Amino acid sequence: MEKESVDLKTLRARVKKQIEDAVPDVRIDYCLTCGLCASGCPATGLEDMDPRKFLRLLVLGQDEKILNTNWIYSCTMCQRCKYACPMGIDVGRIVYEIRGMRPKEKRPKNLQRSCDLQKKSNSTGIPNEDFVWVVNDVLEEVRQNEPQWKDLQAPIDKKGAKYYLNQNAKEPTVEPEEMVPLWKILHVAGIDWTYSSKWWDGANYCLFTGDPEDWEYTVRKQAEVVDELGCRYYINTE
Amino acid sequence: MSTPKGSVLVVGGGIAGVQAALDLADSGFYVHLVEKSSAIGGSMSQLDKTFPTNDCSACILSPKLVEAGRHLNINLLTLSEVLDVSGEPGNFTVRVKQNPRYVDPNKCIACGTCAQKCPKKVPNEFDLGLGKRKAIYLRYPQAVPLKYAIDPKACIYLNKPGRCGFCQKVCPTGAINFDEKPKELSLEVGTIILALGFKPFDPTSLDFTGYGKLNNVVTSMEFERLLSPSGPCMGHLERPSDKKEPKKIAWLQCIGSRDINRACHGYCSSVCCMYAIKQAVIAKEHAQSGDLASSIFYMDMRTHGKGFEAYYERAKEQGIEFHRARVHTVLPAENDNLTLRYTDTKGNVHEEEFELVVLSVGLETDPGVMKLCHELGIQLDQDNFISTTPFAPVATNRQGIYVCGAVCEPKDIPQSVMEASAAACKAQELLSKARWTETKKKEFPPERNVYAEPPRVGVFVCSCGINIASVVDVKEVTEYAKTLPGVVFAQNNLFTCSQDTINQMAEIIKRERLNRVVVASCTPRTHEPLFQETLREAGINKFLFEMANIRDQDSWVHQNWPEKATEKAKDLVRMAVAKVLGDEPLPYNQLPVTKKALVIGAGVAGMVSALSLADQGFPVCLVERKDRLGGHARKFFRTWQGQPMQEYLEELTKRIEDHPLVEIELGATVEEVSGSVGQFKTRLSNGKDVEHGVAIVAVGAESYKPRTGKWNYLYGKNPNVFTLLELDQRFIKADKALSGLNQAVFIHCVGSRVPERPYCSRVCCTHAIDQALKLKELNPDMDIFMLYRDIRTYGKREHLYQEAREKGIIFIRYDLEHLPVASEEDGNIVIEVEDQIIGERIRLHPDILVLASGVRPRDDVGELSKLFKCAMTQEGFLLEAHMKLRPVDFATDGVYLAGLCHYPKPVEETIAQAQAAASRAAMILSKDAVPAESITAQVNPMKCTGCGVCTRVCAYHAVAIDQNSGKAAVDTGLCKGCGACVAGCRSDAITLRNLGNEQLMAEVEAAMEG
Repeated sequence: MEKESVDLKTLRARVKKQIEDAVPDVRIDYCLTCGLCASGCPATGLEDMDPRKFLRLLVLGQDEKILNTNWIYSCTMCQRCKYACPMGIDVGRIVYEIRGMRPKEKRPKNLQRSCDLQKKSNSTGIPNEDFVWVVNDVLEEVRQNEPQWKDLQAPIDKKGAKYYLNQNAKEPTVEPEEMVPLWKILHVAGIDWTYSSKWWDGANYCLFTGDPEDWEYTVRKQAEVVDELGCRYYINTE
Repeated sequence: MSTPKGSVLVVGGGIAGVQAALDLADSGFYVHLVEKSSAIGGSMSQLDKTFPTNDCSACILSPKLVEAGRHLNINLLTLSEVLDVSGEPGNFTVRVKQNPRYVDPNKCIACGTCAQKCPKKVPNEFDLGLGKRKAIYLRYPQAVPLKYAIDPKACIYLNKPGRCGFCQKVCPTGAINFDEKPKELSLEVGTIILALGFKPFDPTSLDFTGYGKLNNVVTSMEFERLLSPSGPCMGHLERPSDKKEPKKIAWLQCIGSRDINRACHGYCSSVCCMYAIKQAVIAKEHAQSGDLASSIFYMDMRTHGKGFEAYYERAKEQGIEFHRARVHTVLPAENDNLTLRYTDTKGNVHEEEFELVVLSVGLETDPGVMKLCHELGIQLDQDNFISTTPFAPVATNRQGIYVCGAVCEPKDIPQSVMEASAAACKAQELLSKARWTETKKKEFPPERNVYAEPPRVGVFVCSCGINIASVVDVKEVTEYAKTLPGVVFAQNNLFTCSQDTINQMAEIIKRERLNRVVVASCTPRTHEPLFQETLREAGINKFLFEMANIRDQDSWVHQNWPEKATEKAKDLVRMAVAKVLGDEPLPYNQLPVTKKALVIGAGVAGMVSALSLADQGFPVCLVERKDRLGGHARKFFRTWQGQPMQEYLEELTKRIEDHPLVEIELGATVEEVSGSVGQFKTRLSNGKDVEHGVAIVAVGAESYKPRTGKWNYLYGKNPNVFTLLELDQRFIKADKALSGLNQAVFIHCVGSRVPERPYCSRVCCTHAIDQALKLKELNPDMDIFMLYRDIRTYGKREHLYQEAREKGIIFIRYDLEHLPVASEEDGNIVIEVEDQIIGERIRLHPDILVLASGVRPRDDVGELSKLFKCAMTQEGFLLEAHMKLRPVDFATDGVYLAGLCHYPKPVEETIAQAQAAASRAAMILSKDAVPAESITAQVNPMKCTGCGVCTRVCAYHAVAIDQNSGKAAVDTGLCKGCGACVAGCRSDAITLRNLGNEQLMAEVEAAMEG
């Protein structure tokens, strides 16, 4: 049986409109359908979708398809498409908006949970005391087992340190020894740095769920800590 | 304005500048042609072949350059730049800086010894750095002027005096002058024409193309040089990395065009689609292995010019692959190959390896040109091209300064040539009072009657420095020449073409009473006119002359066999002497000119041409078959840039009607035409006879109405289906109902680019999009869908396409296999069309359906073309003399064409073409008599049987059977000396003067004697 036609008696591209209101220079309508984005996109073909088709569905008001495709999680928002697009259209930015439009319960569970946890403290949900304990424990072990690093430092909450360093929560949780190489580099370089005992997670999960408020919240929390400690520079490891 | 100056400054020596200069110099003005490099020719001289005729670019350009270089009324100022301009229209003062050439052009004989000895090699900018040249160089082999120049940045001597200086030591004529200094000139001119050209876009900034990092990624201009026989690989296609012939080439379109992100060029460069197809076709021809695979990756294929669509279709048949897809990144692959990944319209990903990638780079304005425009107060547009308006397409914002070519918008060669003539036309209008006031005229002494004299042949054997003499024993050849029958004098010269030798030759002709001359030297292509002129100066007819090419065809090709080369030189001289003995003086035919023009068709094209000629002081008879002026333009609402058409038309018709020199014949057509250039006699349908020197055909075309058949789409059946022009009528009438529409659908290419009308109508995409925007203006909430095949908003029109998308107008592509389907439901229109990208059928419910139906030629054009002996294209448009370089001339002298009868075009191009036709016509009308061919066919009535074969084979309608004698007779005014009738004659009754069988046989026999 032949597929039913898409009836466009009145064109209502509500999602497109919403994105345009949120991102004034998004230029969805400028699309030439040239396919340059689709040729360069690593996610082309996943979920039977590509960046050009995605834009086209938006333009033709196929909102249901846009809101339901899981391709928005295949797209990594890397902006490779935008880099070379003759019209400079940022599909990643559009994907971000649409991710945010999806009800939380319909988002990928792990992603949403990580964001929710990060909003409380960190994305793995380990208590802050555990982070402090793990850092000190690993540091102690290195100092003892590797005599040449007996002076290695991993300061936490050091007021007035020049550099503030955040930490991806995965390492203290599952691979604590992975933190050490960076400490060593900073040590050799003679950098005056510190971790914080709260809001120390450098991951940015709320960026990927598409909720700007959540993302802003976690970033602001980190910023507050940096200000409290009086550090001049913020080193983001993510 | 006080008395205007009779001279014009043309800035830029590319094809546009050269054409403008030639038009003006041939119609009574003195021209200063300023060119910044060491030779004229511009970008066209760098091209290998030109589309759509595949003519060799240099071959069709060279004659024009040579003509400009030799023209008595063109002052060629190479290595020069304009500093500033003061004064007013009619009386400008221009300061020009002329940089030193360090080579005296009066002494340089282009022997090339200097460059051979020069030790300094630098990248050759003419080959875009793909090859090397010396610090002393010729810009290119056919350079005009053919004079070497020293590159002061590269020259060792100029940078460290005392070192090197080899060129000066070896130059046989002492032409090198290291002490030359820049000169400043002050020129008084009446008008200025800017023909500043373009610069190819530099794709280095687009890092994803790999250009500059991957060896086998080249620009299209570089590829032209790779293809060119005068290029770095002598026309044997090689890729840069390993000099191997590529077997698989990809072209990437729109590099630096239609890109507002990285390239910052929102416009379309107009020419790249066609040149890419041409390059793909030519590369296939060049490929020695014969199995070259070519792929072109594009967005919209823009083949909107005359003959272009057919060229595109032919390319597909020849196996060129066209992919509607763009490539994101050019990736390196093994063996210096390149990998391209692309997604087709259905969303499928493909990966393919190529051996060479050509970037079809766009055109942009050179920063130096922008600076000059700024200094001259010339306004540029948003894209940095010189601003013009549709109704004054070659006028800049500064009065008296005109513009032509790619500097005001990317465009192809014919369009540039058209505009060049249009600019020349505007200059003539402004300066018509000063015609012939500053021109020079060559005066010759009366010619000696040599009929009764026995032949006295003089032979001048040239050494050409060492070019000939190092291989051929010129002394021996000279002595040999003296022994030939009829030869009374022979002499060897170091450089026969040098000024002192030329003077000496004239003296010898007089002193020795020579009546035939042979020069054994180089090629007649460059030197015959010079020697012929010398004969005239010495008082003998210039046709008593022959050349033997003992350089290009002897010493240069037989360097390793000096003895045989000397023997061949003798053969060539013997042949030339045998031929010259039979030469007779020929008349310098002239045709007196009736200084009046006939313009047929009073649409915009006809009226603009007529008005321009009348403004220059020439009477015009303007014939219109309808009972009112205006033609097709009456139906138009506005130009694509928004100027109301009817206001313009009203002003134009008023000026025509009020002009004392224009006589208007309404309701009349042309019935009978006789005569030829300078002296036409035309009978009109109203019984009037018009005598005129020239004719301009501007009879327009018709809009196609899809009343029946495949392209009907309910037209004529549903009242809400319109053509573009019908919708224009509603705009003109300010129809309020239009604001109330909810949905409008436009279908493009209705009846165009289809088997029965295979050409693209050029104007409809832009027109339709402009109308869609107008509807959006009336009601911003209206949903508008454009169903198209390729959007062809070439040049600056691309901005309109972008604006349309920006405003939410939706473009859905269809192809001939998936046509939109129109039906009615309860009297309402329903359109079904597949959107290829989402792969679904879309159902639309338009309140109005607008059909962008194309332009079709008028059915009666054929009759008219026969009357004027003009040709037509297969499609039924009139055919110009040469698609590239003579876009407004017919093959019949004195007849020109303009407007839609030539090909569909927008009003700005129609106006430019009409002005161009006026310029070409003024070249005739400004003279009392025009020269005609001297070497014409001659009928021997004793042999002629009156069979009439000659009349049928003559392309110029110059032969007719005389009613009284029953024998063929040649009209020497029409005869071009092509020889078709001679070959066609079964009775050996026709000969070409000075090329008769006896003479040619004498030459052949002489060849056999040796």
